[in-house]
Amino acid sequence: MKAGIQTLIAYRMNFFGFVIGGLIYCFVMYYLWRAVFNSSGSDTFMGFSMVDMTLYLFLSNMTNQLTFSSVCDSVGEEIKDGSIAMRLIKPVNTDMSYLFNELGCALLKFIIFAVPMILGLEIYRFVMTGKVMFDILHFLLYLVSTSLAYLVSFRVNLCFGFMAFYVKNLWGMSILKDSILRFLSGTLIPLAFMPDVLRTTLEYMPFSSMNYTPVMIYMGKYGMTEIIFRLGVQAVWAILIYALSKLIWFHAVKRLSVQGG
Amino acid sequence: MRRFFKIYRILVAQNLKRIMEYKADFLTGAVSFLIDQAVGIAFIFIIFSQIPHLAGFTFEQIVFIYGFSQIPKGIDHLLTDNLWCVGYFIVKKGDFDKYLTRPINPLFHVIAETFQVDAIGELVVGIALMVYVSGSVNLYITPLSVALFIVVIPFATLIYTAIKIATGALAFWIKSSGFIIQMVYGMNEFAKYPTTIYSLFIRTFITYIIPFAFTGYYPCIYLLTGQNPLFNIGGTVLISVIVMLVALLIWHKGLSAYESAGS
Repeated sequence: MKAGIQTLIAYRMNFFGFVIGGLIYCFVMYYLWRAVFNSSGSDTFMGFSMVDMTLYLFLSNMTNQLTFSSVCDSVGEEIKDGSIAMRLIKPVNTDMSYLFNELGCALLKFIIFAVPMILGLEIYRFVMTGKVMFDILHFLLYLVSTSLAYLVSFRVNLCFGFMAFYVKNLWGMSILKDSILRFLSGTLIPLAFMPDVLRTTLEYMPFSSMNYTPVMIYMGKYGMTEIIFRLGVQAVWAILIYALSKLIWFHAVKRLSVQGG
Repeated sequence: MRRFFKIYRILVAQNLKRIMEYKADFLTGAVSFLIDQAVGIAFIFIIFSQIPHLAGFTFEQIVFIYGFSQIPKGIDHLLTDNLWCVGYFIVKKGDFDKYLTRPINPLFHVIAETFQVDAIGELVVGIALMVYVSGSVNLYITPLSVALFIVVIPFATLIYTAIKIATGALAFWIKSSGFIIQMVYGMNEFAKYPTTIYSLFIRTFITYIIPFAFTGYYPCIYLLTGQNPLFNIGGTVLISVIVMLVALLIWHKGLSAYESAGS
């Protein structure tokens, strides 16, 4: 974990680039949605007010940063350049060493990025509605849900990283992964806006566990029973994806051929 | 000039050979960018299933703007992808020395080295979208307007390239500028939608500072309405030339400040 924090500090410039890039994207979306609300002629759009929508955009981006896992790229790189062999001969569980490395990053991101962000959003919400809407219970549940989301995201990314055993174009793979996840996890557009069949399907898929569930919990869109149910869905996926990543790993490592020496 | 073309042809041929060798790679890349585009369109589609128009634009018009904005982006992606590497690792690893020792312009060499076929995804989608909606939007079509519209594409592309050159060149001072390229390049998101939806500050910013508005909205609005060719087309040409000159200036300043890095 400590190593992860040190890496992040050393590459803080990249980190800030990433954060600012994300915020720019949020602002584009914010204006787009504002135009949508203006054009729709009503205050709410499918159950979301503009305040809800703004909150959703920024929270979803923040959750994305918190649950972000670069394990896909790092595993991929190591498979490609063969240094994965070094990890294989060490007496440490391979994926655990990645996991703890990243947890350090996530913790630091929470302190320097998420805390100010939440503060900013709550002030915005207060100014717009005139009420303090911050709810400590929902916030704590959000943290629980985000942790589960992180576990799912880590494993999904790991699975994609293992694809490097089969495909060599990692850059293409990562674009593919990002755009699929962006759509299916509700980062691009809240799942609530999608046609019913699609929405229900996606809510039960692992992707909504990675972003949508924690955000909706924070926003108080779920009742208590539903929160418990959703957390359960997340936990089940965390376990299933864990099993899947193990399965791929055992299958893939057999056909590992390291290029070069 | 002839020499440049010849070298370029050889380098591109070299790249194409590499692609033929790794066909699956090429497919992954192209399909990835294709899906990335499909997601963007699905987004617009879902929004429009709820509202009849967006800030006065119809679904088809928005798709037209979106589609057009992908063309300069795709051409730039196809031709100058290696500039990303300058920012991310070429300078940092000390590999840039290679370009300085060759008897051709280093900038030309960097750009010519990569021919990024992944960009086909963006280009195909961009063109397909424009063709698809061209029947249902009222375009202002005269021989002149079409000619201007086509002429403007390379200039819009220059804006992308210039921004990558300028931000990539910062690596000459700070060794790694990948994150800056990422940040500034990321603003092309603004180009996909009509600039009228943004606040005055952002609109000014993407028109005059990081002029991505000229890579999508302004040229399109000319073909959609036929108004203001001087600003919409002339502006694109003028601005793109200006940013390119600024970018080249930064690049050359950077080259003279460059000290090799690495072990």
